[in-house]
Amino acid sequence: MSIALDQVTKRYQSHPVVNDVSIEIQQGEFLVLLGPSGSGKSTLLRAIAGLVEIDHGRVSLHGRDVTGVVARDRGVGFVFQHYALFRHMSVADNVEFALRVRRMKRADRLERRTELLKLVALEGMDDRLPAQLSGGQQQRVAVARALAHRPEVLLLDEPFGALDAKIREELRRTIRKIQQELGVSTILVTHDQDEAFAMADRIGVMHQGRLLEVGTPDELYARPRTRFVATFLGAANLLLGYRRGSALRFERPGAENVTPREIVAVIRPEEVELTTGKVSKDLTLVGSGVVEELQFAGSTERLRVRMPMTGTMPATPDREGADGSSWLLDASRTFPEQRANPLAVGQKVTVSARRIHSLPTPITSFTAVARDQANVEALRDSPLLAALAARMQTRITIRTTRTASAPPGMPVLAAGPGAAGTALWNLAHGASQVFVLPHGAELPARIVVLPGAEAGVGALGVAASLLRHVPAESVLLAIHEAETPERERAAHLRVLLDARSKALLDHGLDLRTELRFGDPDAELARELGMQANSMLVLGLDSLDDRETARLKGLLEGPTLLPVLIVRAPDGAG
Amino acid sequence: MAKRIVVPSPLPGFGLTFGFTTFFLSSVILLPLAALVIRALGIPFSELIGLLLDERAVASYRLSFGAAALAAAINAVFGFIVAWSLVRYEFPGRRLLDTMIDLPFALPTAVSGIALATVFSPTGWLGTKLAIAGVQVAYTWIGVVVALVLIGLPFVVRSVQPALIEVRKDLEDAAESLGAGGFHVFRRIILPTIMPALATGFTLAFARGIGEYGSVVFISGNLPLKTEITPLLIVIKLEQYDYNGAAALGFFMLAMSFVMLFAINLVQQWGQRRMGLGVQR
Repeated sequence: MSIALDQVTKRYQSHPVVNDVSIEIQQGEFLVLLGPSGSGKSTLLRAIAGLVEIDHGRVSLHGRDVTGVVARDRGVGFVFQHYALFRHMSVADNVEFALRVRRMKRADRLERRTELLKLVALEGMDDRLPAQLSGGQQQRVAVARALAHRPEVLLLDEPFGALDAKIREELRRTIRKIQQELGVSTILVTHDQDEAFAMADRIGVMHQGRLLEVGTPDELYARPRTRFVATFLGAANLLLGYRRGSALRFERPGAENVTPREIVAVIRPEEVELTTGKVSKDLTLVGSGVVEELQFAGSTERLRVRMPMTGTMPATPDREGADGSSWLLDASRTFPEQRANPLAVGQKVTVSARRIHSLPTPITSFTAVARDQANVEALRDSPLLAALAARMQTRITIRTTRTASAPPGMPVLAAGPGAAGTALWNLAHGASQVFVLPHGAELPARIVVLPGAEAGVGALGVAASLLRHVPAESVLLAIHEAETPERERAAHLRVLLDARSKALLDHGLDLRTELRFGDPDAELARELGMQANSMLVLGLDSLDDRETARLKGLLEGPTLLPVLIVRAPDGAG
Repeated sequence: MAKRIVVPSPLPGFGLTFGFTTFFLSSVILLPLAALVIRALGIPFSELIGLLLDERAVASYRLSFGAAALAAAINAVFGFIVAWSLVRYEFPGRRLLDTMIDLPFALPTAVSGIALATVFSPTGWLGTKLAIAGVQVAYTWIGVVVALVLIGLPFVVRSVQPALIEVRKDLEDAAESLGAGGFHVFRRIILPTIMPALATGFTLAFARGIGEYGSVVFISGNLPLKTEITPLLIVIKLEQYDYNGAAALGFFMLAMSFVMLFAINLVQQWGQRRMGLGVQR
């Protein structure tokens, strides 16, 4: 293991900029940390170099724990976005800086310098001052300088950011070549997905301080796990789809007896097939729309198709070009495709997909449910739900009619009298989660997870999903009744730990774990009362009387807080 | 085609503004200075030399230049420390302190002179304490240095501050990641980078110290041959209707100012060349 990060957390003014990041990088591997600006990627890189002190977690380089070691003793090479060359020193002095610090002999320094300048193709530039070099050359010097002391880890912080496109391309190739030649483990930070695709062995996508997903470029592109990665790595259409058995449909179901399973489908523009005639059998029908835009883009043709909201529904709320009744689907075609079936703006087309990837996200959409329009709108516009939907890029639909089954997506109810009954009804009639909101609830500062046994995995998955988007402290709570026999306790604990490690594996989520002994309700109340503005994620194993009573207390009691209930999957228990 | 002296600009009003500039500079600066030079050069050469090399005059040069150089050197060290703490640290009252640096600029020099004299006089509350240690500040050359330190501090701080802000955190991070310790980073990276600014600050403080009058005369005691600075000597000569002597000393001070300004310019050019102006980042 060349670089190992374990739960690395860095806070600025108590706001986490790097949140609980764990990853391992192999010897000689090239990892690209990709994310929008402000996602914490540069801070993480600096933390690895020791230039930023971390508040929690561990950093190991080559099996040596360097968490408390200062930057100068970590022996890493660091390349900065703006080169950070010492302007009063010649190229030679810059490159030899690390060697002089290490009191290397003059002849050895000269030899190493010559070797390095050859490596970055700057032979004979030894006596120039940085100001006499172009941006690309300066960055080459910076790379040579960072490699001088033969670091086993090379860290590059947006090294091409200040360069123009052509030089960038060239330098990318140079660095990749050098990296492979030397076999030095490398982390590069960028916000440019092309750069990530071109250079990475693996890509780690960061967002809001969290490392969302790590994988090879093709893996992440073809099978993203989150909405963010799906849309950040390349263009993607995110649609709500409905699965019944093996059949996948995109038409929004009406009030039906059985609630279909809602999914978030990722359809890449190049997988969209636009036809004017019949749709071939091996394609999945998405819907029909009208071509609104045709754009020549060199090797491809880009199209945008306006789709009515009544048929298919985008999974994200604020998609560009969407209005209340319709939205725009992105498609692209190669020229052979275009020649075979030319299209014009204004033409009606049938849209189908060659390949559909469904996101393994536990929260597909929210459906606010209330008895009348005023209440349902109040629920939809409540601060917590609106903030969650915006952060998670999740759509909120509304429903006021009573139906025979729970709505697709996650039903959202108002807390208060009758809430427990409605929640249980929804859980019994097709919903796998229910979200109960007190009036005016805000984004929580703390999320307490009480996972239950069978519902544990689901509850942790939902909690992970939430925590990726909410900068809240999280606590995993396990309560043992005092009279529980020893053996059962152990079994219970094993279930809990399994669920926790699965959550860690699937969602990269690590939670602080609290063990409590005593009366479950009293202990829960105590934990929730410890801090205002908490939220509870509750795994519900059964719908028996005892649970009903507990829910009544939580959802209708005097002190209300947001509760997200996750039911155990069918057949369990 | 004849080479044009003035590159045409799309902005109108060049003639008017340039005319005003020339007129203003001539009437306010050039004319009085020219008068001084003419007056001084009107003195027979041997008498001029005699006046310039007069024992009292030479003693005043020694004090003026010596004290100014010492004060500027002290300011270079402590002004750098002040600028460092203002730029590098965030602490309560930082902005207030930052404003206070300019006080010696804004204060009438006589006020600071009287204030210093009061504090450092043998009966003043710092003077009494220093007297116990056997140090007398007021009415000695030390007092002159103290006054010039006060006057010169803002020059160093204000020169070094922007340069220190310019030293990007990146540079120090880079040096540190390459294995350099704190002292090494300071000596090899920070100091060379801000050296031109520090030199400018030193020269400005020095130049100001040579010409300073108001704040010094109250604390120096003005003993001929001992604590008499050149500007004061000029005033004394004027009061004694020794216009030749005053003009000669004035001429000498003017020449020194020119040398100083020239030196500042050289220092700045050197700094810009070293830091590679043109490819800015």
